[in-house]
Amino acid sequence: MDKESIISVKNLNFSYNHSQVLHNLGFNIDRGDFISILGPNGAGKSTLVNLISKVLENYEGRIEIGGKSIKKLSSRDTAKLVAVVPQYTDPGFDFTVSEMIMMGRHPYISRFGMEKEEDYDAVNRAMKRTETLSFAGRKYSELSGGEKQRVIIAQALAQDSTVLLLDEPTSHLDINYQIEFMNLFLSLNKKESKTIIGIFHDINLAIQNSQKIMLLKEGRISSFGNPENVISRESIKNIFGSDVYVGKNPVTGKLYVSPIFGPDIFGDASGKELNKYLKVHVIGGGGAASPVINLLSSRGYRVSCGVINMLDTDVDTAQMLRVPYVTEAPFSPISRQSQERNLKFIRSSDVVILPGVEFGNGNFSNLVSVENAVRLGKKVIIIDEKNIGKRDHTGGKAGKLYGKIIESGAVVVRSVNQIIRHLQS
Amino acid sequence: MTARTKTLRYIFILLLILMLMIIACASFGAARISLKDTGLILGSFIPGLNHFIDTSRLDPQNIVIISQIRLPRIFLSIFVGMALASAGVIFQGLFRNPMAAPYVIGVSAGAALGATIGLVFVSGIGLMGISTTTLFALTGALVTTFLVYSIARIRGKISVTTLLLSGIALSAMLSSVTYFIMIFRTQDMAKIMFWIMGSLTSASWNRFIILAPLVTVLVIISGFFMRDLNIISLGDKRAAQLGVQTEKVKKIMLIMASFIAAAAVSVSGIIGFVGLITPHILRLIVGPDHRILYPTSAIAGGIVLLMSDTLARTVLMPREIPVGIITSIIGVPFFLYLLVRSKKQVF
Repeated sequence: MDKESIISVKNLNFSYNHSQVLHNLGFNIDRGDFISILGPNGAGKSTLVNLISKVLENYEGRIEIGGKSIKKLSSRDTAKLVAVVPQYTDPGFDFTVSEMIMMGRHPYISRFGMEKEEDYDAVNRAMKRTETLSFAGRKYSELSGGEKQRVIIAQALAQDSTVLLLDEPTSHLDINYQIEFMNLFLSLNKKESKTIIGIFHDINLAIQNSQKIMLLKEGRISSFGNPENVISRESIKNIFGSDVYVGKNPVTGKLYVSPIFGPDIFGDASGKELNKYLKVHVIGGGGAASPVINLLSSRGYRVSCGVINMLDTDVDTAQMLRVPYVTEAPFSPISRQSQERNLKFIRSSDVVILPGVEFGNGNFSNLVSVENAVRLGKKVIIIDEKNIGKRDHTGGKAGKLYGKIIESGAVVVRSVNQIIRHLQS
Repeated sequence: MTARTKTLRYIFILLLILMLMIIACASFGAARISLKDTGLILGSFIPGLNHFIDTSRLDPQNIVIISQIRLPRIFLSIFVGMALASAGVIFQGLFRNPMAAPYVIGVSAGAALGATIGLVFVSGIGLMGISTTTLFALTGALVTTFLVYSIARIRGKISVTTLLLSGIALSAMLSSVTYFIMIFRTQDMAKIMFWIMGSLTSASWNRFIILAPLVTVLVIISGFFMRDLNIISLGDKRAAQLGVQTEKVKKIMLIMASFIAAAAVSVSGIIGFVGLITPHILRLIVGPDHRILYPTSAIAGGIVLLMSDTLARTVLMPREIPVGIITSIIGVPFFLYLLVRSKKQVF
């Protein structure tokens, strides 16, 4: 079934004080969608919200709501179609909660008229929805931050609009309110089929709950689509300039973004440029390669990994960090083909790293590959955190080969952090 | 209780007080006229009621005193008070600032300079019974308002901060010009000072007939924008999101309030504190909803100025005190008392 477009923006340009804030935006939003707009400060998110809600005018291009250009809609009619939920602020005067919420009915009450039955009904519904009925008679100024925000949401709901624009309504509140309000917005979207367009500071909040994500950068749409297609390590780096992991939440199956923290992240750009010429292959298994891959890829090295079994933590890490890898079926011994592919990676690498992998007969061939690497003249670094005797489940076969590799000139380090020094030399 | 019934109840109570005040104030004065006689005389002016009142027993001189001297002054003071309080509510609402008074944007300084020029340099070009001073004061007030408004208009939008600042700056300059004139015309100084301090001494039915319809019309038209004013107190942007044509409403309200204040100032001089304090007092009683606050403040403003003016003309009888002095001396302590008693924020 084709969805009906509720908001359509074409060739939208907007300048403020002679500097262009929005550049040629064009997009469609379908009725009933839940859309998030993400972007750094100054990307033009709020400007876009202000234009759609007719707070700002004097734009070039076309903004249509429900098929009508908003230039032709009155302020009142626009407010009947689009309600904005901003962060709460304090009004100049000490109104009661119900007086505040009734202000949402302004577009429906004529200048010479008074509130009608339907206005009281709408306010009542909005209060029930936001659980503000219990303090309807109290002064707004005496409420807590979370309660005030509920009143502002109720005010917007009283507008009975088709579209709800969320202008960072929760980013100044505690996590419990962020969850509470997000659930409210989701329920409004699902049960009352309100179209919701939100600006959120929290990327994960946006990804988890939106059908589509719009990434804005410097007043331009960088991408717009399903979270899976839009959110990636590269796109976040491009928009926000931050290093993140993008993974899948095992519980919800949705993407999640988690920032990379570390003392070396800051101001290390020049080193990263040099590092990208060095290819490093890491032997995986049982999650032993993950910290190595993480460290090396954050430093900018070109990393590969193998052979690892599907369902291994190292596979998740490699996927998350977009590192090429060689896999084998879950819980199966390494096949001839996989070993060949692994050797291909090793041959094209400058350095091979062997972290503290446990060896059994199934993955013994990985150790054979390392021995091959030494013979090929590759630099081999062994991270020997745990005695090989305790990691050898082959009855001594692995331990013997391990010793032979060290004898052949592999570098032995005691911890993951020491490998950087050896890579730079 | 809906806003409408609440408003009507307050208005009824205030009108009742106003009526009693009119009778009481009409009986006070240098000539001793009893409350009973005053009531009878006032009653005889009301069509329908006059058939039942026998005026033959009453002193005809008292009838003249009340009808030609006291009543015009009473009604003029009521309308000036109403105008000042209405303008006060609008300015405080627009500026979301408790210190906003009808004079914030320079209406008073402009009117004072206009009146001074009228008193000193021009005489006798009255129009339709309006004196030169009044005409010049009105012109001064409106020109100043226009200037301040033009300065504060940036790309079609009015900046409230610029409006307040340019109002203060221009007021200071105009006042200096007024003082400059006063120094060189010491013979007119007392006249000018008396005008500046505010007085209703020269009240007449002529003046009332000119002021009353103007003020009434402006006050009533402005009354239809009170819901907008409520919402504008949430901030211009939020008001626009809720469907208020913020810039248009602000412009209309500014022009209306400035005209109302200018009309009042030009007939009465600068009467302070009525426009500032009355809305505050009423806000404590009826709450912040402008739809209730505005009409009640208007009536209360009339009551306050009527009482003050009656004191002004009777306290040191037969000498008159400028009513502006009374409103400040009584109004300010009362306001401070309310501030301390309410303990919480008034605004």
